[in-house]
Amino acid sequence: MKQKSYKSVFSKVMQKEILVAKNLSKQFGSFKAVDRVSFSLREGEILGLLGPNGAGKTTTIQMLLGVLTPTKGEVFYFGKNLRANREEILEEVNFSSTYTNLPWDLTVWENLHFVSYLYKIGDRKKRVDELIDIFKLKELRKKRIIELSAGQVTRVNLAKAFINYPKVLLLDEPTASLDPDVASYIREFILKERRQFKVSIVFCSHNMAEVEELCDRVIFINHGKIIADDTPEKLARSIEFCRVQLLVENLRKLQDFCSKNNFGFTVEGRYITIKVKEKHLADFLQDISAAGISYDEISIEKPTLEDYFIQNSSKIH
Amino acid sequence: MANIRLISSSMKFHRIWAVILRYNYLFKHSLDRQVDAFYWPTVDLVLWGITSTYLASHGNNINFAVLMIISGIVLWIILWRGQYEFTVNILEDMWNKNLINMFASPLTLYEWISAFVLLGIVKASISVSYAALAAFILYKINLFVYGFKLLPFLFLLLMTGWWVGLMVGGLIVRFGGKVQNFAWSMVFLIAPFSAIYYPLAALPLWAQKIALIVPSSYIFEGARQVILTGVVDPVKIGAAIALNVLYLTLAFWFFKTSFKKVLQRGLVKLY
Repeated sequence: MKQKSYKSVFSKVMQKEILVAKNLSKQFGSFKAVDRVSFSLREGEILGLLGPNGAGKTTTIQMLLGVLTPTKGEVFYFGKNLRANREEILEEVNFSSTYTNLPWDLTVWENLHFVSYLYKIGDRKKRVDELIDIFKLKELRKKRIIELSAGQVTRVNLAKAFINYPKVLLLDEPTASLDPDVASYIREFILKERRQFKVSIVFCSHNMAEVEELCDRVIFINHGKIIADDTPEKLARSIEFCRVQLLVENLRKLQDFCSKNNFGFTVEGRYITIKVKEKHLADFLQDISAAGISYDEISIEKPTLEDYFIQNSSKIH
Repeated sequence: MANIRLISSSMKFHRIWAVILRYNYLFKHSLDRQVDAFYWPTVDLVLWGITSTYLASHGNNINFAVLMIISGIVLWIILWRGQYEFTVNILEDMWNKNLINMFASPLTLYEWISAFVLLGIVKASISVSYAALAAFILYKINLFVYGFKLLPFLFLLLMTGWWVGLMVGGLIVRFGGKVQNFAWSMVFLIAPFSAIYYPLAALPLWAQKIALIVPSSYIFEGARQVILTGVVDPVKIGAAIALNVLYLTLAFWFFKTSFKKVLQRGLVKLY
């Protein structure tokens, strides 16, 4: 786990607050999409923004980009207010998102070329060619966006996001529609950029394994409010239950035992997976042994960020 | 809550160039846009030219009638092109959901508008040169001979196109795709009062009163005077400037207000 060790080293040196959201609220009519959201992003930090659909993540990202005016609250980048210093700040910020498109009639190269002129960067053609190489777009450079697959468009969007050597990146589902090998390559590239250039990243994804791998910290939003702000590990640990998977000869007997003692379980073939409170695990194993149930295989799955996500999304809905 | 400052006094040419590049690449690939630039002006010239030649051959002054119609067509292209670069390009970015890419960058509203203005000047010059050349080839009417005397009128027509473009652009930004048809049709609201193909006196009295507040009526009258007599009327130029400046100011204010309004809803909701 190269990335994990890198994360822990990095957490000691990141201090400077690069992005601060203060009491951000957005109301559409009587609907509160975002309600007094405050958080900060430190230099070189990757911050996961999680929450179920409609939780307020995209609305928050839009306010951070300045393309949606907050009803209340302020956004600060590098200690400066976004409202008053928009041009200066956005020169150092970029984003990739599934809710925007690049002009579909333009080729990959044309898209990146025109976008490069929106920013103050040196040799634009060189930068475009560099990104085309990095995101493996060489064979697609003359293809129009409309001719590309969803995964290919995602790669062009990511290339666009890196065009201005951003100090802050807002990535909304950046690896959606990518093949696993390409997604892994992109994650490595993101980590490399952070390591080399201390890029700070706000990262929205529904892929919890990806969030656990990349993010130093996670903010969980639901109904427009932050309901948790911690490391992925600590959030996962806040789930008390672990999953015990057993291969037993007398499956029926174990099912009855679980039902009688109110343990949730699922059966798949000859395997049974039982939800047990982590602190009661030893007692549980003793009890089934005392009940005359023996097992041939056992695996214990600790709670993950996905468990946290499912528990907290379903709790509120 | 105060809006994010999208207006800035410091304009950067590279960002204006980014917008120009974006629309030029679009023009290169879009048959629709190319047809709009060359096909329709040609159709207008051929149809109206032949019609006016036929009608005039039954009257007294063939050259006068043909000249009125053809010069009207060529001059109208400038106004139409000026507004088209605003309205249709805004629509293109709305359809493409590209506005967020543009405005999540340091691009300002001034720079965006400046790009439309520059595009309008360049494309109107190309379209008008093409139409004037076609008029010469088809009807032996040489509009180039009026040279510098026509220039102020050409510029004023562009200005009229800009404020119409800003007004319609403001409506599109405010109401989205529901009013997208305005991009092509709205400019024709002022056409009957602009005295494009006929003298102002040919309009009914009520329409003449409306024409008094339409700057293009002074422009077409003034341009026609140049073409027919060679005389430049400074009063007509002055009136057109005054009205254009007034409407341009109001249209800019409306466009800016509409843009602020859409930022309250979110640019992502503009479609």
